[in-house]
Amino acid sequence: MHILFRKIVGKKALYWWLLMPFVGLFTAYNGYGQTDSSVVSLSAVTIRAIAPERFLAGQKLQRIDSATLLQFRFGSLTDLLALNTPMAFKNYGPGQLATVAFRGTSASHTAVLWNGININQPNLGLTDFSTLPIAGFDRLAVQYGSSASVVGSDAVGGSILLGSSPVWQPGIQVTIGQQLASFRNNNTQVGVRYSTGLGQSWKLSGKTFAYRNQFNNAYPYTERRNYFMERSTTAQRGLVQDLYFIHKSGRQLSVNAWLTDNDLVLAPQDPIARERTRTQSARFLTTYETNHLTLRLGWIHDILDYGKGDFSSPDHTETDRFISRAEREFSLIPQKANVSLNLRVGGEWSHYQTRTDGYGDQLIQEDRGDLYALLRLQTSRWLVSANIRQAFVTRFNPPITPSLGAEYRLVQHTKFALTAKGAISRSYRVPTLNERYWIELGDPNLLPEDGFNLEAGLASTVVLNEHFTLTSDLTAYRNRVDNWTYWNPTTNYHVENLQLVVARGGELTMNLTYARSSWRAGVRAGYALTRSSQERAYDTYSQDVIGKQLVYVPLHTETFNAYVQRGQTRLTVQTQANSRRYITFDNSQFFKGSTLTNVLLETTTKIGPVPVRLQGQVNNVFDALTFSVKRNALPGRNWALNLLINLPNNTQ
Amino acid sequence: MNYQPTKGILLGLLALTLWNCKTSDPEPTPYESGVLILNQGNFSQNNGTISFLPRTGTAVATSIFQTANPSMSISGSLQGYTDVNGKGLILVDNSTAGQDKVEIVESATFKSRATLKTPDIENPRQVISAGPNKAYISCWDVSGDFNAGTFYKDPGYIAVVDLNTNAVVKKIPAVKGVEKMVVAGTEVFVGSGTYTGSKTLLIIDLNTDTEKQRIDFGSTPEPIAVDATGKLWIQAGNDLVQIDPASRIVAKRITFAAAPGSVVISTDKRAFYYTLSGKTYRLPIEATAAPGSQILARSFSALGIDPQTKRIYGSVIPSYAQAGYVLRYEETGALVDSVRAEIAPFGFYFR
Repeated sequence: MHILFRKIVGKKALYWWLLMPFVGLFTAYNGYGQTDSSVVSLSAVTIRAIAPERFLAGQKLQRIDSATLLQFRFGSLTDLLALNTPMAFKNYGPGQLATVAFRGTSASHTAVLWNGININQPNLGLTDFSTLPIAGFDRLAVQYGSSASVVGSDAVGGSILLGSSPVWQPGIQVTIGQQLASFRNNNTQVGVRYSTGLGQSWKLSGKTFAYRNQFNNAYPYTERRNYFMERSTTAQRGLVQDLYFIHKSGRQLSVNAWLTDNDLVLAPQDPIARERTRTQSARFLTTYETNHLTLRLGWIHDILDYGKGDFSSPDHTETDRFISRAEREFSLIPQKANVSLNLRVGGEWSHYQTRTDGYGDQLIQEDRGDLYALLRLQTSRWLVSANIRQAFVTRFNPPITPSLGAEYRLVQHTKFALTAKGAISRSYRVPTLNERYWIELGDPNLLPEDGFNLEAGLASTVVLNEHFTLTSDLTAYRNRVDNWTYWNPTTNYHVENLQLVVARGGELTMNLTYARSSWRAGVRAGYALTRSSQERAYDTYSQDVIGKQLVYVPLHTETFNAYVQRGQTRLTVQTQANSRRYITFDNSQFFKGSTLTNVLLETTTKIGPVPVRLQGQVNNVFDALTFSVKRNALPGRNWALNLLINLPNNTQ
Repeated sequence: MNYQPTKGILLGLLALTLWNCKTSDPEPTPYESGVLILNQGNFSQNNGTISFLPRTGTAVATSIFQTANPSMSISGSLQGYTDVNGKGLILVDNSTAGQDKVEIVESATFKSRATLKTPDIENPRQVISAGPNKAYISCWDVSGDFNAGTFYKDPGYIAVVDLNTNAVVKKIPAVKGVEKMVVAGTEVFVGSGTYTGSKTLLIIDLNTDTEKQRIDFGSTPEPIAVDATGKLWIQAGNDLVQIDPASRIVAKRITFAAAPGSVVISTDKRAFYYTLSGKTYRLPIEATAAPGSQILARSFSALGIDPQTKRIYGSVIPSYAQAGYVLRYEETGALVDSVRAEIAPFGFYFR
């Protein structure tokens, strides 16, 4: 009853916001324009697109705008993605493990790329999104659908692309940020960006940034409506170091490092029963780029410790990856105004070594190689990509993965543009180290998962009048994954290639923007239908599971964002709703659908010469009752106050 | 003109009053007589439930606690259930420390009466009726790391619950990993789980709620039941031991090929049913050697004997991620029916 009531209240608010841009609240006049990035004054940015952004024609790519990134500057990737994409998260609690289900797949079917390299933790084959704060990167995009031909393993449901961006505007800019939030939670960020010429030919751009995030989760209540609040604390620390050296010829050398340390303690009040999970990652990447050549060297070091009661001798997992990649791009036809045909060929070699108690404490090593060729044709109306990849893994044979995608501009007027898209691709996933090497439960002879993804869509832009622009995007897909690996609960969680999972669905997003004089407004609404089910019988009782919706994958998800802005002040409402989430394979138990709404008010003013950005937000405005995977109540209405100070550029 | 509406209101009020009188029927008691299926749930998901199965028919009512109390949830693994004087005690073990609890309900309606929480209740294991309005709940206390040897706090305790005040009035220090309790006369015989390594049989005086005696049992004692002759049976690893509760003297010891599973006493208390190596057996209390007679050519996760119909109930747990089944058999071993229960049915309560 409570949830239903909140839902109605939530919907009412939602309708009101939907109507607002239409009812003539804004009377001042100005020409129309792009509004999304207007809150931030973007510095000159050079973005060298990584392959997934260029070679996956016909597939949906959602770039998260800088205004949204700024709004979530003190938040986690989980919250941002849940409120802006149809991704469903399996959340164990605030500051605790959060894994993704993207387009009806499992947590290990989404690749997370940082500056082009996969940073999924290789033992688990997934990313704990709670450990990746928004402050750790500059750019974020979401690639929908299988992209194994370009990304490699794990990109079955889609990929999340995180990246760093240099700022070439000369000078030094110091940023200090502080968040104070409910439950004695707080977050501090300190960073400096710098750029300068180095002699006649070279320029340097760098960023040094550190953050700490302390979740004390000191709830003033022990229960919400008869459900326990789980006691836990999380201490997060991180350091980002980016250095870019660019030559006037276009050659660029860059060094990126991202160190993260996540320390979660459950039941901290109890010295016997408390549990600590500590995740530490160090990621280093060196890239050398010319206009045609890219060379990368990377090292990722992941540590995972778990202890109970006495934390002095935890279960320990330590994994290293040494990555090298070379790519060369060729222009196959002479440069013409309207047509380009590019071929990018590349090779990758990685060495993995891991040691964990679960594998019998022996050092396990393996090598992985990839060869790929990516072809891209662009004309005034067509964008076509055709790719092929073959991966090689020690003691394992991934399938060859081709893909073909195309986009065609059906209509190309100044006031109306319509593009049709389609793509077909094969995908695979290298089973995780745990799936292959875990003593007794793992199986080194697992077969590769074999995915086949089809999708088609339409994208349009309509300029309604000089104030209103509407962009919409409609996509339908079918993704069939055979030999789906499964920790089979019927056989005491031995890993088996048992299942055949078919995920089909679609996404509709609509984005209406308004601009007039100093007023801006926008509405972004997204709906996704995700039907994902296991389709093969493999034992007597699997009959009860066939055709049932995958656990924690809601059939319907909706996101709704609306804002009004005048000058530097913006009011935003964010809403995320999902239908019921089943928690058992036979769909006999579920969590009810829920709606979460946040309200944000932000402004930028100058105190003396110092621009100060202030953001206040109320999360879960309607105090909806939602649950963690462990059936604990998630926090009710809570607030946060964010302060971001950019000390003035000393060269100005 | 003004008179008419007033009259209408008065008539309406009268009708409402009459209607209210009419609806003040006693509350329906849907769960008064039948079988409760105790579903453990999957530990980390905290989704244990109780289902209600009528003696006739296969219509299972699921999650009856939540049905009776829509704003509440068991929120944990189900560990045990017992009626005491019309009140039901539901033992709940949550995967997070400090969130274990005991829900006290009206046994016929399952409407919540009270909740016992931490620190009174930590890892509750079994509940028994210990008097007219008194229950004993064995509790491991806070558990630590199994590998580090801190899993079982030594000793665990027995929480004494006064059901008039719905409060834990006393904690009796018990044994490490305290678990099974059986009443014999005015005494309670208390044992542990086999993983504890504890070999102590504890005897509590029901009248004073105090420890009376500790007996070194040689192996971990798991008290089962008192038979028709007043003798107490205790499982000890692969053995079933019959002792005289008054003199504490062992009457006999029957050794099995392996540890017998889900040992339950028959309605007339003259035999035991148990599972061993994929089969279900019946062993009369007069037997002097294992295994007795085979009743069914299969085993179950749990057995139950309905005292009213003498039917045998067996539960099947395909996994902890989908619903299990309950199979019913006549005393002769003839299959009656099979019903779908909820996640991990591990026990039955007949009434």
